[in-house]
Amino acid sequence: MTFKRRQGTVWEASEDLRRRTLSHISRPLDRLIYLASTRDYNTGIYYHDGLAAAYSQDVACQALADCHREAFREVLDTSLRDLVSQIEAYMRSIDLTTETFISAWKKLEPYRVAVPVESDPLATEFFFANLRTALAILENRQMSRTPEEPAA
Amino acid sequence: MVQLLFFLAIGATLLVFLVVLARRGKAEGAAEALVDAHQALFTLQTELLPHGFVTRLFDRDDLEFVVSEHSGEIAEFFQAERKRIALIWVTRVQQQVELLRQLHLGSARFYARLEFKTEASLAWNFMILSLSCKALRLAFQTSGAFAAPRVVGTVAATASRVCEISAQSLAFLSRTGLDASGPSTGGRPALGA
Repeated sequence: MTFKRRQGTVWEASEDLRRRTLSHISRPLDRLIYLASTRDYNTGIYYHDGLAAAYSQDVACQALADCHREAFREVLDTSLRDLVSQIEAYMRSIDLTTETFISAWKKLEPYRVAVPVESDPLATEFFFANLRTALAILENRQMSRTPEEPAA
Repeated sequence: MVQLLFFLAIGATLLVFLVVLARRGKAEGAAEALVDAHQALFTLQTELLPHGFVTRLFDRDDLEFVVSEHSGEIAEFFQAERKRIALIWVTRVQQQVELLRQLHLGSARFYARLEFKTEASLAWNFMILSLSCKALRLAFQTSGAFAAPRVVGTVAATASRVCEISAQSLAFLSRTGLDASGPSTGGRPALGA
């Protein structure tokens, strides 16, 4: 396959992924976490059975990687206020208490594996710093809630 | 007489050998400077200077949002984090611009025929950048990341102008295919590029 033809196919696969899957995930943070979860931690290779069946494993991997970088940029472009809202919404969607979620994210820092390979170190640091601040804000809100008020 | 000719021949051979070695070293150094400058240009245009990234990094709305949370501790933490990142940003911009300056001081004139006006403009922009980056670093260190938004704008705009001229000087590398082997991150559009 020529380089141009392959790039064209990767573009088609990326569009397919955006249309069929990613368009149903409204928040950039959720898209980032979803796309990172399609990547094998040991090899860095992305897997998506449906996409690989329609195109090829190689093309599917490239398309997932492109969409992953795109989602990462979107999260970077998100204001701190929106990021806090997105984390709150994500927390609600996975049905965990705020305390459990914040404690796990602060200790384990699972967001570190959500960064695409070859991301610029400064962009990565910016992403981590924003997440740490957002978690601190959520924790502070949780602690300042009165006992009568039920947790989200 | 034969002995004299023999030693003269050896001397001439050694001289030629030295000249070849010296020329080769210079060419390799120039090639290295070109590759460094190409990489610096890529980093500046796709990672450090994109308008969206610079705007986000120095956006006061984030600070106002954090302050509205009424927690001195969090506000302090946020300001310290932004200050740290702002300092990394200005240091990296300065480093990459220095690589471009080295290119223009050294090998660029052999490859790119820049007009005197363009060279003068470059020199002026490098001077502004050098001073602005120093001022910005001082401002960040003393008053945090949000201390000098205008100077941030000046640095970003001036560095973008330098990138545009440098891109013209390095355009021949794209024709030789170095771009195809360069890193591909699908970066965002550069400021003013």
